Amino acid sequence: MAAITRRRLLDSVLGAGFVSTLAAIVYPVWRYLIPPVSGEPSAQSVVAGQAGQVKPNSGSIFKFGSKPGLLVRTADGELKAFSAVCTHLDCTVQFKSDTSQIWCACHNGMYDLQGNVVSGPPPRPLERLVVNQRGDEIVVSRS
Amino acid sequence: MPILDWIDQRLDLADLRRFTAEKSVPVHAQKIWYYLGGVTLFLFAVQVASGILLLLYYRPSASEAYESVQFIVTQVEFGWLVRNVHSWSANLLILAAFAHLFSVYFLKSYRKPRELTWVSGALLLFLMLGFGFSGYLLPWNELAFFATKVGTGIAGAVPVIGPGLMRFLRGGEDVTGATLSRFYALHVAILPAATTALVVLHLLFVQRQGMSVPIKEADRLRAGGRARHMPFFPDYVLRDVLVWYVALAMLAGLAAFYPWELGRKADPFAAVPAGIRPEWYFLAAFHTLKILPSHVLGMEGEQLGVLAFGLAAILLVAVPFLDRRASRDEPSRAFTALGLAALVYLIAFTIIGYLAS
Amino acid sequence: MKGSLWPVVLAVAVAGGAVALPALAAAQSRTDQCVTCHASLPESRLAAPVRAFSGDVHQERSFVCVDCHGGDPTSPDRAQAHSTGRGYRGKPAGPQVIATCARCHSDATFMHKFAPSQRVDQAIEYATSVHGKRQAAGDTRVATCVSCHGAHGVRQVRDPRSPAYATNVAGTCGACHSSPDHMKGYTRADGSAIPTTQRAEYERSVHHSALVTQNDMSAPTCNDCHGNHGAAPPGVGSLTTVCGTCHAVFQAKFASSVHGQIFEKACIECHGNHAVTEPSDSLLGTSKASICASCHEDKDDPGFVGATRMRGAVDRLVNEINASSALIDRVRNAGMEVGDQDLALNEARSKLVLARTEVHAFDPEALDKVVSEGTGILGGVNRAGAEALDELAYRRRGLFVSLALILLVVTALGLKIRNLDRMR
Repeated sequence: MAAITRRRLLDSVLGAGFVSTLAAIVYPVWRYLIPPVSGEPSAQSVVAGQAGQVKPNSGSIFKFGSKPGLLVRTADGELKAFSAVCTHLDCTVQFKSDTSQIWCACHNGMYDLQGNVVSGPPPRPLERLVVNQRGDEIVVSRS
Repeated sequence: MPILDWIDQRLDLADLRRFTAEKSVPVHAQKIWYYLGGVTLFLFAVQVASGILLLLYYRPSASEAYESVQFIVTQVEFGWLVRNVHSWSANLLILAAFAHLFSVYFLKSYRKPRELTWVSGALLLFLMLGFGFSGYLLPWNELAFFATKVGTGIAGAVPVIGPGLMRFLRGGEDVTGATLSRFYALHVAILPAATTALVVLHLLFVQRQGMSVPIKEADRLRAGGRARHMPFFPDYVLRDVLVWYVALAMLAGLAAFYPWELGRKADPFAAVPAGIRPEWYFLAAFHTLKILPSHVLGMEGEQLGVLAFGLAAILLVAVPFLDRRASRDEPSRAFTALGLAALVYLIAFTIIGYLAS
Repeated sequence: MKGSLWPVVLAVAVAGGAVALPALAAAQSRTDQCVTCHASLPESRLAAPVRAFSGDVHQERSFVCVDCHGGDPTSPDRAQAHSTGRGYRGKPAGPQVIATCARCHSDATFMHKFAPSQRVDQAIEYATSVHGKRQAAGDTRVATCVSCHGAHGVRQVRDPRSPAYATNVAGTCGACHSSPDHMKGYTRADGSAIPTTQRAEYERSVHHSALVTQNDMSAPTCNDCHGNHGAAPPGVGSLTTVCGTCHAVFQAKFASSVHGQIFEKACIECHGNHAVTEPSDSLLGTSKASICASCHEDKDDPGFVGATRMRGAVDRLVNEINASSALIDRVRNAGMEVGDQDLALNEARSKLVLARTEVHAFDPEALDKVVSEGTGILGGVNRAGAEALDELAYRRRGLFVSLALILLVVTALGLKIRNLDRMR
């Protein structure tokens, strides 16, 4: 009697073990198959903002991979995007709405709205990025 | 069971039932080695499954491969686990394949009538090494890039066909995105197709001929000894599954204690990092080539080394046809000694090669 | 007399021809004779100008030898070609060089035909320069137009082959200013000899490497600080403004700082004038290598205290950035997503750049503020890094649980097999 009960116990332990190890495999695979929220490796293009929220003569910083990007809407309404990494010493630039120029606070580098250097120490223009609109989304990608 | 009855009524499982009831496995002192073939097959199945999962997100181009692996590992839920399992299981698979080969060799299971089983098995080992070499490049990180550069460079040392072979492998003169495309095709299509064919053959042979027994046991049976058997279902299967679970435990432990790193993205214009070396299963060969003098017997040392490996591979495949004594069920101590020497050389040079870098 | 007019016509034709033909011939060979003769002369000093002139910017605009030298270009006879009666001026020397060039280059109406946007005040500037003043006093060894621009192979300044092209300027100035023989006898206002080490010092500087190695055309060379035509050393009071043309932020901070009120030589006190090397944090503080220590030696000196404090603040930020960076590298290598942390590290590095700028205000309080902004950002990075490491530990624990389950099954299987064997 005891032997049969022990055998049944062993069988149920074995069964439970199989099922739980199977679950421990199936559950991660199931979660893996569900596409992640971020969609795809975003090295090349990024949603930088909503078209309705970017006012004329304003700029904002967005994340482009692991580096900052600058999205600018000129006074005429045109959208432009640049890498916000200053070409001098890698500080993050910003948009100055009073002079409609791009400014680096570290050493007073100034860029115009083409990304070209106007004054200060930066040796090269800002890297320009390509801007497209998809519905209300502003999509910025590398040129 | 109701489900089996349902199928039986449509497909007539009588033969299958007889097969499961009758199939048995010989029992003797060396039967533990029988499990190595099964565990190799199990690990290969793990590779196929985890590989297919990785395929869902991986991108085989030089500009996206690294980022896609990074994506799998950071963004996809349990992506890190799938990738770790795939990387570690690859190593365990090759270890199991070598162990299986050596156990079959020392037990001389390759003797008549099982020569073709051995040939298909040896070819399968080469295919596994090909899987390892091609798969290693796919994450496109620094280590992989330079290991491939060095490895395909060695292929270029083969006399006569070397440079052509190297260009074929690399898809050009240098390791580039073209190499990645090629290795990807090899890894997910060409090698799997070849492996499937050979595995089916290999298993068919084993199924048709049954398990080989060591020469001593065969002699004992011929002398009238009683054959001892174990039913395949459920006895052998339970033990097989046990071994598979042990392999699974090893995988889980390795993934927990030694998670695979992402590395840095490959930069084709960077200098080769110091101490670059291939994965452990190529280390013995790599170290041998390193210590060969630059010129031997009028040939470049590397060329001689590569030729020697080629010769060794051919001899390996031809073992059943060379070992006449074993085919007559006679002890062939020379082959045993040769096998031991090879094993010692491989283990020693792998360790030395690891320490040297 | 009555008869044919032919003799008259013939006479007129001959007379006309006698006048017209030489003129035609002269027009055809207007430039030929100077070039023809000089090109065949054995002395290289007389023949070289002809070769050089073929690449000259003036030659491209159809100017010829006589436009600067005067004389008769039509005559192959030396005496006639070189006759002062025909306006021959010979090789200009000293003030004549200036006059020769300025005849065209200071004439706005004339220059408008060839280079409308080019300046026409070079001669006036030159007169204000040290070179110009000494020349007016009779010195023949100072630089004139041709010393820097060449005489016969003149090229535009934006042509890389011109001695006045940005990367060539140091060599051109250095041709005289680095030669001890040439500079012998020249002294500064205070009587000390003018050094000849400037070029060598400049070539060690960060400005030189920016210009020559990194092709940054905005980097300064001799003329950017000293002027080109009005060349003179910057006056002592104007040093900050000269450096400040590019380094504006530093000028502003320095001007309002305590050192700005004291140091005559401003930027040059600490950074040098020609050998401006890459600055490092070791310049700050009170160690032997630092500059602060050259004045602030006394431990009780508030300057000493301030310098120590400021160096400590910068070092703290540097070390924290390195530590956070290493942490994030470890986490990234282990396969965790760290894009936001990379951005934050970028911000922290910007704060370091700002901190090193703030040093020039020599105000430890202000510097601490910038540094604490940086360390604040790093606090966030470190927290995120720690969370990532926690996640890794959590995964490891999860795998342990799976491992335990697997081993449970292994044990149960082992027992089952043993039972099965016993039954058989």
